[in-house]
Amino acid sequence: MTTPRIELRRLTRRLDSGGRPLTILDEVDLSIDAGEFVAVVGPSGSGKSTLLALMAGLDRPSSGEVLIDGRPIHDLNEGELAKLRRHGIGFVFQTFELLANFTARENVLLPLELAGVPGPRRRADELLDAVGLTERGHHYPSQLSGGEKQRVALARAFAAEPPILLADEPTGNLDSANGQLVLRVLGELRERRGTTVVMVTHDDAVASLAGRRVALADGRVVADERSVGG
Amino acid sequence: MRPAVYLRNLARESRGSRGRMAFFVVCLAVGVAAVVAVSGLSAGLRQAIRAEARQLLAADLVVAGRQPLPQAVIDRLAEVEGGELATLRETVTMASVPARAGRRGGSRLVEVKAVEGGYPFYGRLELEPQRPLANLLAGDSVVVHRDLLPALGLALGDELRIGDLTLRVTGTVSSEPDRIDGMFRLGPRVFLAGRTFEASGLERFGSRISRRTLVRLPAGAPPEEADALAEELRETLGDPASFRVESFRDAQPALRQGVRRVERFLGLVALLSLLVAGLGVAQTVRAWLAARLDAIAVYRCLGLTPRDVTLLYLGQTAILAAAGSLLGAGLGLGLVWLVPHLLADVLPTAPPSAWQPLAALRGIALGGGVSLAFCLPPLLSAGRVPPVRVLRRDAEPLPTDTGVRFVAGLALGAAIWATAAAQSGSALRGLAFAAGLGVAAAALAGAAVLLVRAVGRLPRQRVGLALRYGLAALGRPGAGTVTATVSLGLGMLVVLAMAVVESRLVEELRRSLPPDAPSVFLIDIQPDQWPQLEATLVAEKATEIRSVPLITARLAALDGRPVAELIEEKARDGEERDRWALSGEKRLTWLDQLPDDNEIIAGSLWSDPEVDEISLEEEFARDLGVGLGSILTFDVQGVEVPLTVTSLRTVEWQSFGINFFMVAEPSAVEGVPATRLAAVRLPREREQEVQDRLAAEFPNVTLFRVREIMEKVAGVLERLGIGVRFLGLFTVAAGLLILGGAVSATALRRAREVALLKTLGMTRGGVVACFAVEYALIGLVAGLVGAVGASALAWAVLTYGMEVPWGLVPVRLAAGVAGAVVLTVLAGLAASRGALARRPVEVLRE
Repeated sequence: MTTPRIELRRLTRRLDSGGRPLTILDEVDLSIDAGEFVAVVGPSGSGKSTLLALMAGLDRPSSGEVLIDGRPIHDLNEGELAKLRRHGIGFVFQTFELLANFTARENVLLPLELAGVPGPRRRADELLDAVGLTERGHHYPSQLSGGEKQRVALARAFAAEPPILLADEPTGNLDSANGQLVLRVLGELRERRGTTVVMVTHDDAVASLAGRRVALADGRVVADERSVGG
Repeated sequence: MRPAVYLRNLARESRGSRGRMAFFVVCLAVGVAAVVAVSGLSAGLRQAIRAEARQLLAADLVVAGRQPLPQAVIDRLAEVEGGELATLRETVTMASVPARAGRRGGSRLVEVKAVEGGYPFYGRLELEPQRPLANLLAGDSVVVHRDLLPALGLALGDELRIGDLTLRVTGTVSSEPDRIDGMFRLGPRVFLAGRTFEASGLERFGSRISRRTLVRLPAGAPPEEADALAEELRETLGDPASFRVESFRDAQPALRQGVRRVERFLGLVALLSLLVAGLGVAQTVRAWLAARLDAIAVYRCLGLTPRDVTLLYLGQTAILAAAGSLLGAGLGLGLVWLVPHLLADVLPTAPPSAWQPLAALRGIALGGGVSLAFCLPPLLSAGRVPPVRVLRRDAEPLPTDTGVRFVAGLALGAAIWATAAAQSGSALRGLAFAAGLGVAAAALAGAAVLLVRAVGRLPRQRVGLALRYGLAALGRPGAGTVTATVSLGLGMLVVLAMAVVESRLVEELRRSLPPDAPSVFLIDIQPDQWPQLEATLVAEKATEIRSVPLITARLAALDGRPVAELIEEKARDGEERDRWALSGEKRLTWLDQLPDDNEIIAGSLWSDPEVDEISLEEEFARDLGVGLGSILTFDVQGVEVPLTVTSLRTVEWQSFGINFFMVAEPSAVEGVPATRLAAVRLPREREQEVQDRLAAEFPNVTLFRVREIMEKVAGVLERLGIGVRFLGLFTVAAGLLILGGAVSATALRRAREVALLKTLGMTRGGVVACFAVEYALIGLVAGLVGAVGASALAWAVLTYGMEVPWGLVPVRLAAGVAGAVVLTVLAGLAASRGALARRPVEVLRE
């Protein structure tokens, strides 16, 4: 049996909300293999985004463990977690989160430079080409449409070729045509590189593109199903 | 991060915040410029003094004192091969215009300089006509300062009476190498030849004459020779209490020391503007980081470590600090160039060089250090922005842990102390400054917070819209105006405190004299002249006529120990300040009983029939280091007179009566030769007329008019005050920049407010009025807090430092507060220009 790429063991996150403890995630167990495309669905407040944050080491669990490639990450310090993200995890957000001071190309360049990838400029151009934005590299985010921003974000997320990509409602702020385009690009990049993708969404149509669908409610996994052939 | 990546991202990260960063740079530049200007001017002046040391001394070596040089020294100086000597005698006396056609001429108090030999050996006398001084002084001639001619209605060739002589004015002088303009002067210069001076009768018994012997070494003599000769003369003289030997290599130690002292004081005033700039810089960085929180979270998601993030923004800060410091150093050096040109008439030297690299470096180092110290706390917290913020916007930056905050606070305090110590040249003064500043800033901040809170609670239903808006805006939480208020308040405090102190001192000096106080002092009265002089004074309707005998003596020993020995001891212990009490000629009087403004606080007057007694003023006794029972031995024209201290007293000096530090028992000094001193009160409008008559009839008597002298002191004080207030304005400027920075940091919010108000139908003028009220309130709070603080500081300085009665100076304070309000409104509106100009539709679409 191979080591799962991501493994959550009895993962619990509580927040202090006005003096009362609020359980966001409640003893979640989940195992995701390399190359899987998992959609996490559930209503608002079900803990989807927190799950993503804990997988990336952006947040610390109250109890339980997160293992990446069999290695627990809860005892890594901030510097080690940063390096894990630098090389191992890409992100796509609902609100794009491009650095406003950077051009599209510089946004894509940053993770390449941080990871010390050789020939980062050529690679950044290739990535912009792959997301269909060859001509927009010198533009600042404020000069791009929502769909274009998200494609730049995808190019940035895949740039350092991380084995894992975490996406938080990547189409949530896009109209359906742009949403389709972004999902198609995501699918192409994923297939070419064999990236493990975990995508949070509340849109069933979007979730149906994934091979596996995990449903959360009140901080617990209430369904975990694989589509045929997924 | 690898260095290349770091540098690239440093450049990228700076985009888009350039407008705000300009505040950082300009704010810091203002503070650095003040520091560089003070340090550069002082260094430049001291360099110029060194460079012109020979001119300022007019010789290679000078021996100065009140008594004639001992023969041994004269002989030794005559042996200097190829050397040359000149002697100067200086005194203060009356110059008057002889009566013409039965009308008495005018008179003036003048400073006489009698010259023998080739004075000046170095430097230039600016004479008109341009002939050697000795030529102009040949025969019965006199050369006077060019200001004296119009003052007495004279022209070249006219006659002037000095002492017993009537002399012809053959030339005018406008500048002397060894006389420093801008210093306190009793009267214009009058040059006489040595033999003329001797014939004038001014050098009479009891007159105050200071003598200088100028030595020129042979051309090409090594500079060390001057030092060696000076050392040898000091040994030969062996009397530091009476003679001072100074070589050009010493380069005016007293003058340079004076420049240093002024530098230390003004350096702290300048430092205050730099520290206020530090507050502004920290506020800019904090606002900037607050706007970059999302970006920082993204950086963290992309794999930047907290250290990377801190370093990224530290780098930005360092670049800005370098830019601000360099700009400030440039501006400061510009001031070093400009100020001497504005003040050319008060400088002792030619305008000093504006190229002062050390001062510039000092400014850059202090600017960098202050920026770093003030920005460290926000920078350290930048690394603690949680990356999860990209998913949850409410995840605020973690509070920096208390350990880090404590260390950062400690570092800041240490930095303030260190900079203050560097600026004031003493760790202790630095500590006092840092502590005082801490208290003042805390008081200002507390007052500002309380006032803002009180303003927030004011009922505002019934006031106009603009006022209502302004009150609400000021009281709004997180308005970020407290820092601006504190900084502005500190600036106002400095400017106003100086204005109040200066105004009180000048007022006190110009105040009409107490009704029974004398308005004129007469000195150098020969004992046999007094009855006739008194009769003249009575005839001229002078009142409150008082006269006492005056003995001039040298203090020879204290409790049997020679004074020369004590002076050396004090010099060894570094107690330079107490030397004055020991050295020089002393004046004392004898009295049967003390005037009313004296009060015995220890011992009792003339109580011991066994010894010859003396009564000392309490503080003078402390400076001498003596008490009841001590024996003071005086040398009165070669005769030793021992007197025992049997009483100590306080003197109310403000009464302007005739008072002495030392009063002897009449029987103890019987037969000692004395002159007389008189004090009388004359109606103000009669002073000049009586002076003219006395100058004509008693030419050896010198007359001091109290009001005239007070007026001169007030003039010097006012000039000093302008310098301090000018520097204080730098702090105000930094405070205004901080306000501008705070306003532009809220530009987005303001733009939205403007858009909303305009959408609701308010005109642009209406919006401007609303904002103006808000800024005016900030200015008002800062001005009021500054004015109260300034009054408190001025009270402390006046009461404890100068013993001048405290009084409110409402006009200046009100003007200061009004100025603060106007400046804040202007600065605030200038910073809101962008927000005001935008069209509502643009803003609301965003």
